[in-house]
Amino acid sequence: MTAINDLNRRQFLGGALGVAAGATALAACGSPDAPAPVPSGSASASAAPTASRIPISAESGKLSILEWAGYEAAGTKAQTAGLTEAGSAYTKEFGPDGLAYTYIENDEQALQKATSSADFDIMHPCGENVKDYVDRGLTQPWDLDLIPSAKYLAPGLMEQTTYNGAVYMLPWDWGYGSLTYRTDKIAAADATGWELAWNEKYAGHISLWSGAQTNFEIAAMKLGLPKPDDLTDAEIEMCKAELIKQKPLNKFYWDSEYGQMQPGIQSGTLWVAYSWQDTLVTMKAAKVPVAFMDPSQGRIAWFCGFMLGANTANYYHAHAYVESFLNKAACAQMTNAYAYGTANTQVTAADVTDKALAESLQISDLGALTSGKNHLQSYTANLDKITKAWQEVKAS
Amino acid sequence: MKTLRKRTTTGGQALWTWPPVAFVFVLVVVPLIFVALYSVGLRSNIPGTKTGFDLANWKDFLFGPTNPFRALFWHSMTITVVVSIAVTLAAYPLAYFLSFVARKNRYTLLLLVLAPFFTSFLLRVIAWQAILNENGVVNSFLMWTGLRAADDPVTWLIYSNFAVVLVLFYSWIPFVALPIFVVLENMDRRLLEASEDLGSSRLATFLRVTLPLSLPGVIAGFVFVLIPTTGEFITPLLVGGTDSQLFGNQIQSFFSVSPDWNYGSVLAMTLIIVVLILMLIFGRFLSADLRDTSTRSAR
Repeated sequence: MTAINDLNRRQFLGGALGVAAGATALAACGSPDAPAPVPSGSASASAAPTASRIPISAESGKLSILEWAGYEAAGTKAQTAGLTEAGSAYTKEFGPDGLAYTYIENDEQALQKATSSADFDIMHPCGENVKDYVDRGLTQPWDLDLIPSAKYLAPGLMEQTTYNGAVYMLPWDWGYGSLTYRTDKIAAADATGWELAWNEKYAGHISLWSGAQTNFEIAAMKLGLPKPDDLTDAEIEMCKAELIKQKPLNKFYWDSEYGQMQPGIQSGTLWVAYSWQDTLVTMKAAKVPVAFMDPSQGRIAWFCGFMLGANTANYYHAHAYVESFLNKAACAQMTNAYAYGTANTQVTAADVTDKALAESLQISDLGALTSGKNHLQSYTANLDKITKAWQEVKAS
Repeated sequence: MKTLRKRTTTGGQALWTWPPVAFVFVLVVVPLIFVALYSVGLRSNIPGTKTGFDLANWKDFLFGPTNPFRALFWHSMTITVVVSIAVTLAAYPLAYFLSFVARKNRYTLLLLVLAPFFTSFLLRVIAWQAILNENGVVNSFLMWTGLRAADDPVTWLIYSNFAVVLVLFYSWIPFVALPIFVVLENMDRRLLEASEDLGSSRLATFLRVTLPLSLPGVIAGFVFVLIPTTGEFITPLLVGGTDSQLFGNQIQSFFSVSPDWNYGSVLAMTLIIVVLILMLIFGRFLSADLRDTSTRSAR
C-alpha cells in the first residue's frame, strides 16, 4: 500500500503511458490477422514439390493430431476396443509413442482449436468446415502420390474437398445425425420427427448436442426452412427462438459422447438424445432398447476426413498415418465397429458383418447421404452469426 | 518509521522483487492487456479479420435490450452470493466447534475436515455425480426405503441449480472454516473470562466479544469463496443443467467454441473488473480489521 501511496501523479501517468504504449505495441505485433491466409480459390493452393521437403528420416515423427475421442490409432494406449485396424500399419512401423492427440467435442470447437492452438500435423474436421480451414490458412493440400488408397476414395466426396485442383481433405467416415430414443420410454407415435426434442412429455430426459451449427440445422428442419445451412438473419432468429423454447426440456447439452450421452441413455437418465448411429450399435450391444429415428423431415448427414496442417514438420509421417486409416481393411473395420459409412469405395456390402444394420442405415450406399429428405451438412457462410446466436440460446 | 522505510527500499533488496514482479507482469498483466484489446476489437483470433477500435460489443453487453449475457451475469452473482453466505454461516459453527469444543482433538478433526481436499477437485465433483445421479446413492437409498418408486427418481438432485450450489458449498467449506478457526485460536481467551466475570451470559459473550473479534476471519473466509466463485465454471459444467450454467461457463464457451473471442473478452473483462472491485472493498475491510486487532493486542 505504501508503494502505491508514494507514487505521485507524474509517476502514475508515466506508468500508465508505458502500459498504454505496451498495449499499442501488443495490438500491432503478432496479430493473427497479419499473415495472409490462402484463399480457397487461390492459384497457389497446391501441394509443394515433394523433392523440396526434408526426407522422412529427418522428420521427428512426433505427430500432433486434432481428433475426436475414439478415433485414436490402433496400437496406442488410448485405443482400447474400437478401432483395431485403423492406424495399426503406422504404429507397427513407427511405434505409438510419437502420436499426441488433442480432443474435440464439436465442429466449432475443432475449428477454434485449430485456429488458436499449437500447429497440428493432422486434423479430422467435417466436410462443412473445409472452406473455413482453407480460408484461415490452417491447412495445405495432400500429395495423393503418397497415399495409395486415395484413388479409391469416393469422387463425389473428393470433389467437395478440392479447391483449385488441390485436395485439402481426404474423406474417411460418413454417417447421420438424428435422435436416439429409448423405445421403452418413448411412445412410437411421438418419435416421428425432430419435434420429439420439443415434446414436453419428456422434459428433463432430453439432451441435444452442444454443436451450434447442428442445433440450428435441427431447428431449421423442424421449422421446415428450405436451406438449413444458409439461413437468413430472420431465419436465424426464428431458429434461436425455437431452441430457447427447447432449452428447458434438456437435462443438459452433452459434450462427450462416451462420457455423458451414451451413459445417460444406458442408465435411463436420458430418453432422447441427439446422436450418431454408433450409439445405436453401442446400446444394442449393451442390450438397451433404443431406436435411431428417421425423422419425417430427414436426418442430418455428414462426412469427415483428414486435413494436413499448414505448417507440419512431419509431412511424410502425416501421409503415412493417414494412409494407415484409409486402406480397405481399416475402413471396413471402422464401418463394422461404429456402423459409419466409409469413403473408401473398395468397402462393399459384403464387408459389413451386420447385414440388417447395414441395410437399415444404408452404410454401403454413399448416395444415402443425400437421398430422400436427408440434409448433408454444408459450408455455412454466416457461421459466426450462428455461433453467437447459439451462445445467446445457452445464456437465455 | 523513516529508518524502516529506508531499510526496505535499498537497491540490493529491491532487486529481489523483480522476479515476482516480472512474473506477475508477464503472466497476469500482459494477458489482461490482450483480453482488453480483444474486447475493444483491436485484436481478432480469426486470421484475415480486419481489426479496429470498436465498442459495439461493450454497448451490446451493457445496454442491449434483453441481453441474455447480462441476465446470466446477475444470475451468477446471485448464486455466488448465496453460496458465499451459506458457506460462511455453516463454516463458523464448524470452526467454533473445533476451537472451543473439540479442544484436544481439534487438529485431528481439522485434518479429517481437510482430508477429502488432498484428492483432485475434479474427482470430488465427479464423485458428487455418483451420489446425485438418478441412479446414484441418494436415489437408490430413497427407492430402497420405499420413499420413492423405482421408476420415479428425484430428478432435480443433479443438473440443477441445487446441485451447483450444493457442490460449491461442499467445495468451499473447509477453506472458509480455516481462517475463522485460526482467528478463534489466536483469540485472547482472558477477554471471554472477563466478559463472563462481568455477568454476561454465554450468548452475550459470543455476540459482544467472540463474534466481533473473529470478524477478520469471517470476512477473509467470505472473500475466499466469493472471488473464485464469480468465475466458477467446472462445477456447473459437471453437475449443472442447461439452466444452471454460470457466467464463467459462458466465457469458457466463447473462447473454446465460438469464434468470437472479442465478445468473450467483454464478458471476461467484466468479471475481472468485478473481482478487482470486490478485492478493493474487502481488502480495505480486512486491513482495517487486522490493524484494529493488532493495535488491541499491542495494548
